[in-house]
Amino acid sequence: MPRLLASALQLRRDPRILKLPPYVSLLCILVGVAWLFLLPLDQYSRRTYISENALLPGQVHTYFGGSDQNVFRAYKHEVNELAGKSNTDVNDKLEPIVKGLGLKTARQNFTYHAAGHTYSGENLYAILQAPRGDATEAIVLVAAWENVKHEINRNGIPLALTLLRYFKRWSLWSKDIILLITPDSIAGPQAWVDAYHDAHDPSRVSSLPLKSGLLQGAIAIDYTQETRFESVHIVYDGVNGQLPNLDLINSIVNIAGGQMGIGVALQEMWHHDNGYPDRLRTMLRGMLKQGLGLASGAHSSFIPYHVDAVTLRPFGDGWQDEMAMGRVVEGSFRSLNNLLEHLHQSFFFYLLMQRERFVSIGTYLPSAMLVAANFTIMAIALWVKTGQPAEGAAPKTKTETNTTTTTTTTTAERDLFLPLGVVALIQSLSIIPLYLFNHAPESTLTTLFIAFTALNTLLPQVLSHLLTTLPTTPTTPHQFNLIKSFSLLLLGMFLSTLATLNFSLALITGLLASPLSFLQPCQTRAGKVAATALLNAVSPTAVLLAGAAYWGTDVTSVLKEAAVAWQVCGTYSPVVVWCVWWPAWVAGGVVVLGGRPGTPRGVGNKEKMG
Amino acid sequence: MRQFLSLLWLSLFSFSIFASAADYHEQLNLRPLPLSSLLASFNFRSNTTLDDFDKGNFRFFPRSLAQILQHAGTRELHLRFSLGRWDAETWGARPWDGAREGGTGVELWAWLEADTDEEADHKWLTLTNALSGLFCASLNFIDGTRTTRPVMSFQPEGDHSTVTNMHLLYGVLPHEVVCTENLTPFLKLLPCKGKAGIATLLDGHKLFDASWQSMAIDIRPICPPGGECVLQIEQTIDMVLDIDRSKRPRDNPIPRPPPGDQLPCDTSKPYNSHDTCFPADHTNQEWTLSQIFGKTVKGTCPLADSTIPPVCIQVPDSRSVFVSKDVHEKKNPDGLSRCFDIAPSTELEMMLPRLDEGASTTTDIVTPETPLLYAERSFTGHGQERGGVQTILRNPSPDTAVEFIYMESLPWFMRIYLHTMEARVAGHSHANKSLIQQVYYRPALDRARATQLEVRMRVPPASTVFLTYDFEKSILRYTEYPPDANRGFDVAAAVITILDPQPETIGSHGGGAAKSARRFAAYTLRTTSLLCSLPTPDFSMPYNVIIFTSTAIALTFGGMFNILVRRFVAADEGPEAGLAVVLGRLKGRLRGMLKR
Repeated sequence: MPRLLASALQLRRDPRILKLPPYVSLLCILVGVAWLFLLPLDQYSRRTYISENALLPGQVHTYFGGSDQNVFRAYKHEVNELAGKSNTDVNDKLEPIVKGLGLKTARQNFTYHAAGHTYSGENLYAILQAPRGDATEAIVLVAAWENVKHEINRNGIPLALTLLRYFKRWSLWSKDIILLITPDSIAGPQAWVDAYHDAHDPSRVSSLPLKSGLLQGAIAIDYTQETRFESVHIVYDGVNGQLPNLDLINSIVNIAGGQMGIGVALQEMWHHDNGYPDRLRTMLRGMLKQGLGLASGAHSSFIPYHVDAVTLRPFGDGWQDEMAMGRVVEGSFRSLNNLLEHLHQSFFFYLLMQRERFVSIGTYLPSAMLVAANFTIMAIALWVKTGQPAEGAAPKTKTETNTTTTTTTTTAERDLFLPLGVVALIQSLSIIPLYLFNHAPESTLTTLFIAFTALNTLLPQVLSHLLTTLPTTPTTPHQFNLIKSFSLLLLGMFLSTLATLNFSLALITGLLASPLSFLQPCQTRAGKVAATALLNAVSPTAVLLAGAAYWGTDVTSVLKEAAVAWQVCGTYSPVVVWCVWWPAWVAGGVVVLGGRPGTPRGVGNKEKMG
Repeated sequence: MRQFLSLLWLSLFSFSIFASAADYHEQLNLRPLPLSSLLASFNFRSNTTLDDFDKGNFRFFPRSLAQILQHAGTRELHLRFSLGRWDAETWGARPWDGAREGGTGVELWAWLEADTDEEADHKWLTLTNALSGLFCASLNFIDGTRTTRPVMSFQPEGDHSTVTNMHLLYGVLPHEVVCTENLTPFLKLLPCKGKAGIATLLDGHKLFDASWQSMAIDIRPICPPGGECVLQIEQTIDMVLDIDRSKRPRDNPIPRPPPGDQLPCDTSKPYNSHDTCFPADHTNQEWTLSQIFGKTVKGTCPLADSTIPPVCIQVPDSRSVFVSKDVHEKKNPDGLSRCFDIAPSTELEMMLPRLDEGASTTTDIVTPETPLLYAERSFTGHGQERGGVQTILRNPSPDTAVEFIYMESLPWFMRIYLHTMEARVAGHSHANKSLIQQVYYRPALDRARATQLEVRMRVPPASTVFLTYDFEKSILRYTEYPPDANRGFDVAAAVITILDPQPETIGSHGGGAAKSARRFAAYTLRTTSLLCSLPTPDFSMPYNVIIFTSTAIALTFGGMFNILVRRFVAADEGPEAGLAVVLGRLKGRLRGMLKR
């Protein structure tokens, strides 16, 4: 044992250990990615199960149907007449209908400004007071007038009205039921939920005149399909990649599949054969959506307030009618009504890969953590390296180590001011793109983006040029290494923290930024050109362009979407892109282009890396 | 409403004046409410002279309760069991002006005779524990952390001129679920035990299916001028029944959709057809007593005062009410209510027929009276660290201001920031200092005492006032969480006591006792209770920690112990070891054997 310790201590002084970090980093990334691809396998994912026994999904008979269909048809006539009318006209027509059901109604106005547009409207909501309850808890049924694709919810709104009329007849509700009709699927629900929790800005969103108790769950109906449907699509992504409790999804899968014989699809995987490729695809789609952090439906805004919510969207060509959809909602509401406690039993961090298979955070988190760790390892290695005497001394110590057990005790002084200043400058510069892209009107976004891309390409060149020419004493390679070390340290810290909040965003950003770990100061002109090309290929702007091209949209609409998400929902993905990834990228560029030709140590490095 | 009340009070006053000896009286009042609801108010009242009470002679007064009162030195007692919420927007003013109702759960307040606070606490403990057993309710959970001593909100209803050392204690259990096990002991206190008279209608299935219900017991001494002092017990049950729900047969209570041809449709819609029907619900009321209560009134209680009609209903005189024969209808002069005299052995069946389509809706039911104040309380903010409470108080009156006392008794883990308390008139952005007139605040002690907050304030005519304050949530100890910790913690209803602006005018037509009862509060209302979510740990975590630390300690302790008890010797100092030693020993033995 002591001998082992001693040899370990000896190993610590071994200069060979300083050569290891790049390989360890690379290994971290490779293992991280490989880990991800293992997850869909049966051995690594788990079958879903209902953890909260109080839910008892699918244990009740559902009675919605019969003559309720006649009522549904009448409400549908009413809703169809309203198509194309203004938001206020729609609410003026719907409010008396809801009041006629014996519910208390109220309205709420909201106005948001984002990307030069104004998003305003009026929410209509109604509270069905629990017959014997005491306004302590509530569940929400959301029916947006338009879904995220701007199709009118022609069946969803009449169905919600008919369901409320049916719910009114039961005396078993232990929680109030709130019907929320919003003009759109993003801003309306967001304004309502913010105001419900008094987190709204009173100048843009008006307060709610009528309130109930704690929200325990929400289900949004997005039913635009006119023909009979086959299955139900559950949309569950919340703002900033937050997810509803897995028990809620499991209950609906159980109710729809077990009781009603309706299939369930996730992440727009309309056909899922439960094989490895489909599982992987479902998981990756989920991760991408989580990483983007955008609102994916009317339910998304509820999740940040710890209100578990999903959107149900019927799809496909089958034989299920509106009443079947109504019974799924009825069953889900009965389950939520059974809840004695707020949903807390099951998982809040998970990746679903099929409706009955998932991986939980304990299994998938190492993947993102390994990717984030690679930056930290490199940062520490660079820090240690800059503490040792510079060029020329290295070969000597190497020979010494062979003869004596003690290594060089000589240490080089680190000049911290310049590197810290450069990193701080780049970090503070990141405020500029964040502000510009989130506040510019849509018409200027394209020109702004082109101008920014051009400047962005030039910025590392300019900065590195300034660093090599401007100071009285030219910047040493050690200082460039320190810049890189600090920037990587920050990146590693940010990403490992982010991985616990939004795993996918941390992983995606980490993978896109991973080349920055391995870029070295280039001495040759050809090397610089190659490095610049590589650097620009993985720049935030280039990735934005590639992403827009992949989804067949233009950059402007992507930026507009991001600005709207930032202003309305408070999505923090732009902060991660502009204030975490972009500064690291600029710092990486400065380091690559900052190398001076003929530096012996740099050459040595290249050889080592080669 | 006012007429109805004055009628009730009149009967109470006349009773309290003329009947000083023990007697018993019961009455049921039915009042149809808008949107197919029906308020049924049961009132049972009996009394005993204080002299008999002290001697232990009970006729109508329940002995079980009397002995508890005597044992705990209770001079006046008020106990409430409530469920649901009163929908003031639709149903108007509360029955009995809110004097006979409590917040959700169980509420108890009593005036105890004691010389010191400690003695009062001790008697209070005796009282709550005894009542807990009597009413099968968790009243014994009203401990020090749930007990307050209100200063401004409550005044004794009875006559306590001879007693000076009375202590008021108030306790509330907002999470208590009121159910049939509380109704049974309640009915047992009645002289006829629910076997005859109007109490036969009281059935747990109907009572606890009601949209709102409140069971109240009030015990107070009353001294009519010139007469003998009596101890009066008044038992009240108010419930609001949903007529559609109550009419469903007991064996088939599931609200299945009716057959398409039985659905009432709005035929004026152009798309109306055999399979498309815009519903036309809530037209008007039509019911019989046996439909909504499941049975008829079985005669009268033979012990009851026969001069008081046992059943009354509040419908306009223009509307006809059918009753079974041998029942005499007596219309009241106000034209809005009528009472029925029943012979002791006849069964009373009553039917309110459907109104003709042509009749206007105004004559359908008596329009409910507007309450003096609407109050709605809710939480503001989110997260597990801080929160706020907002109470919206609306005065509907166009010309009179309302002055009232707002009382909250908050659990100790809600630490309120008193400096954030402010009242603001809707439409103004700044707080109005003149609205809050007086504040009585007794801060909480952790795990020992609840926060008590009484605010005397004024709401100007035709305006809405927001009363807000912030609070901080404490973190409980691991063992202090209830089994359903993630549900949240119930916060009791706020009690709003509206002070009577003209103390003399209302009480002037009654006797002295009634006057004293009416002098203080003109109207009482309670907000709904709240559910406060506290930071809750993951309860599997302690076990993880236990397992983890145990493992770590086992490993370190093992290693440490091993090192501590082992003696370290340098290799060359110690005895030789290994194969050479064994061989050496063998050699020695062999040599020994050879020598021998």
